[in-house]
Amino acid sequence: MTAYLIRRIGQAIVVVVGVLVLTFLMIHLVPGSAARATLGTRATAERITVFNAAYGLDRPLASQFLTFVKQAAEGNFGTSYSMQQPVSTLIAQRLPRDGLLLGLSTLLALVIALPMGIFQAVRRGRVADHAFTVVSFVLYSMPDFFFALLLIAVFAVQLHLLPSEAPQAESVGGILADPRGLVLPVVTLTLVSVAGFSRYMRTSAVNTLAQEYIQVARSKGLPERLVLRRHVLRNSLLPVITVLGLQAPNIVAGAVIAESVFNYPGMGLLFYQAATSKDYPIMLGSTLVVGVATVLGSLFADIAYSFLDPRIRYVNA
Amino acid sequence: MRVGQRLRAAAAATALAVLAVGCTAGGGSGAISNGESAGAKKGPVKQGGTVTIAELATQPDFIFPLAPATNQNGWNVNLTQPLWPFLVYAGDGADSVVNKDKSLFSSLVYSNGDKRITITLKSWNWSDGQPVTSRDFMFVYNLLKANASNWNAHLVGLFPEDVSKASTPDAHTVVLDLTQAYNPDFYTDDVLSTIPLLPQHAWDKTSATGAVGDNDTTTAGAKAVYTYLQKEGAQTTGFATNPLWQVVDGPWKLSEFRSNGYYSYVPNAHYSATKATVDKVVFSPFTSDTPEINALRSGSSLDVASLPLNDIKQAQALESSGYSIASVPIPGVAEIQPNLYNSEVGAVLRQLYVRQAMEYLIDRKQIVDKVYNGYADPGNGPVPVKATGAWASPLEKAGGPYPYDPAKAKALLQAHGWNVVPDGTTTCVSPGTGSAQCGAGINAGQALTFNLAYSSGRATTDVQNAAVKSSEAQAGITINLKSEPFNTLISTIGTCTVASHPASGCGWQLAEFGYQPYPLYPNGTGFFDTGGSNNSGGYSDPKMDQLIKATEYGSSTQAFTDYEDYAAQQLPWLWLPLREGILVYRTKLQGVVPLNPFSDGQNFEDWAYTS
Repeated sequence: MTAYLIRRIGQAIVVVVGVLVLTFLMIHLVPGSAARATLGTRATAERITVFNAAYGLDRPLASQFLTFVKQAAEGNFGTSYSMQQPVSTLIAQRLPRDGLLLGLSTLLALVIALPMGIFQAVRRGRVADHAFTVVSFVLYSMPDFFFALLLIAVFAVQLHLLPSEAPQAESVGGILADPRGLVLPVVTLTLVSVAGFSRYMRTSAVNTLAQEYIQVARSKGLPERLVLRRHVLRNSLLPVITVLGLQAPNIVAGAVIAESVFNYPGMGLLFYQAATSKDYPIMLGSTLVVGVATVLGSLFADIAYSFLDPRIRYVNA
Repeated sequence: MRVGQRLRAAAAATALAVLAVGCTAGGGSGAISNGESAGAKKGPVKQGGTVTIAELATQPDFIFPLAPATNQNGWNVNLTQPLWPFLVYAGDGADSVVNKDKSLFSSLVYSNGDKRITITLKSWNWSDGQPVTSRDFMFVYNLLKANASNWNAHLVGLFPEDVSKASTPDAHTVVLDLTQAYNPDFYTDDVLSTIPLLPQHAWDKTSATGAVGDNDTTTAGAKAVYTYLQKEGAQTTGFATNPLWQVVDGPWKLSEFRSNGYYSYVPNAHYSATKATVDKVVFSPFTSDTPEINALRSGSSLDVASLPLNDIKQAQALESSGYSIASVPIPGVAEIQPNLYNSEVGAVLRQLYVRQAMEYLIDRKQIVDKVYNGYADPGNGPVPVKATGAWASPLEKAGGPYPYDPAKAKALLQAHGWNVVPDGTTTCVSPGTGSAQCGAGINAGQALTFNLAYSSGRATTDVQNAAVKSSEAQAGITINLKSEPFNTLISTIGTCTVASHPASGCGWQLAEFGYQPYPLYPNGTGFFDTGGSNNSGGYSDPKMDQLIKATEYGSSTQAFTDYEDYAAQQLPWLWLPLREGILVYRTKLQGVVPLNPFSDGQNFEDWAYTS
């Protein structure tokens, strides 16, 4: 396992560097000038020169990239052109916010989706299964911004039961201190995610229930509750774990639509605004964070497989 | 025109114009008062209370009022103006004039043929009790003199380079001898209105622990002080806590600043004029207008916010929730900038008759009525008739030189050798430079087809440009529309001139940025003069340069009219209507109206809740 982990970490580093190189090249290939995007329409040639010199944009691309990598290794992602603050500070401010919102909604989605998927599998073809399937498809096909606006219109604008905005505090503690503000964004993201997770879980559980070892367990007189928990749930989780691993980068990349609708600026809006204003340091810093999250999520999924399914071993993998 | 003014006005764009206009026809809107003429509701004033203002899609990131050249965030001026007001305060209520009550001077006297300005400062105090003196003005002058190239509002040739000698005969008098005579209107409204007074007795040092002295009096010292203050000014965590920024002469002190852009002011207890009535003003950031409108409708604590005209149908509901709504004209000019040196169509756009034909085809009245529901300046020329009506010429007030007239447009093109194909593609059939030919650089078969790039994100702009495209087609002029986020758009638009028009930055043909803001004196400096900072399309005309200089250097009203009418006729840009701003405010909050087109609603010391 240790050798496997070392090998995977080595691969992860290669992947992250590859992503960075590609991102760096692509953002510089897009037409347009970062100086003009930042300084505005009245930027004079002199000011553009000053700007490019200040941010090292007048140096060869290879030199700029090496500088970025060297600084990034020291935890310094540079200074945002448009926000005039260190990128690491901006990420440190926004990442926990997204981690809380998206982590919480993902957790809640799993808590709802896993039993729901098994329930549907057990009741396969019955009214309850069909009803949950319809609900899942409706939620899955509904754009999250529309769902969010719908919830706001009903619960904030019409009924005045909940605030339309997410908490505006800077810290995670401050955000948690305003649970009412979290309800609508968390519910929006949870319900949209539930649909996907439950469909995976249902399909997987249907397959598991058809396995011989389930029949053996039942024939041995094991209570149905234990059959479902010990055998069906555990063996059906593998596809969900894969999806969950892929969800990790989404958690750190943010949810730009939800952030915008609920006035909760996080990583998603940070990256979007950087992309539209050619703010290279933020784009590269965010890409690095998302890249790391992607490989970590994948690694988590692989390790989780071995715990869930003893047949899986990575010694010779 | 001064860049600082534009930064400030650009911030107003974010706050007032983003709030702005545009509207589909239809009812449902409540009563929207003209924010300029609407009288402030008077009632028994309640001392205290908090005013929460929506801050839309932007936030300040620099507090030292003299920001570096690499920082063009216009919202910074909004943050600092209540702390360190400019020497000259623009706008008095709804009037586009200098506000003498709020300005820091008691008199401004131009003499020696308008080459000398004698500024007498009011008896005024800093928040730490020290008096505001002429030394504070000299502190600013010395800093800028040594660091002008790293000041974001600097324009070569103007302040401080145009000052040949600055002296302080006494503690309240500053005498500036200028290198040449200036039009007092121009210099007061566009130059002195960008200069704050800063506390020399607290800021003239080179480090946090260094002693305050006369460091600014040497070039090296002024550079060191400037570097130190700029470094501190970028530390957002210290905005509300750094002792430097606690010394203010404005009506407010910053009490809190969060990393997400939320910030608040409390009254400056030692303010030298009438102190604020409310106890606190909070700026609450919003990512876009959608959550802002939702917050207003859900009964949040928002007291003042913008209203995009797409959402004008919400007016009635908002009014029933205790809000009032007012409109305010924006001092600026909305335009389509032609790139006269684009390799494909530059030669065509350099022809005045082509630009005239295109302007004749823009139905500005229809756009004002149908797209902006009447809330827009007609855009008859370079000077807004509504926001700065005192400077608008009779020609502009009468509808401008090119009222909507498709027949004239077609006739102009036909008279210059074009085969006009309505709703088709008009092409040049008579190349050459004769009076009845297409013009220099235009080949036979050249089509009147242009790409118009514009800033996305505003529904009314989409509708307006679709209307322009449709009406231009009447003379066979094809406009291909392409919208992009503002920053993406401007990143691809370089300044192109006859001497330099590289393909990398001059591939654009027509561009619409929204609008260009004006200070109090709405002349064309920087817009239409050769090499002007906002003259992206390379327009150059010696007569225009001369007329613009005449508005800067001479004080003749006729000189301004001559410039304005010439610009209106020559069409360095194609004129468009300019939307108004719409502001939503609590009805019980008095003093918000009449709205000042120049203050960006930053005069909250005048606001008070009625009981």
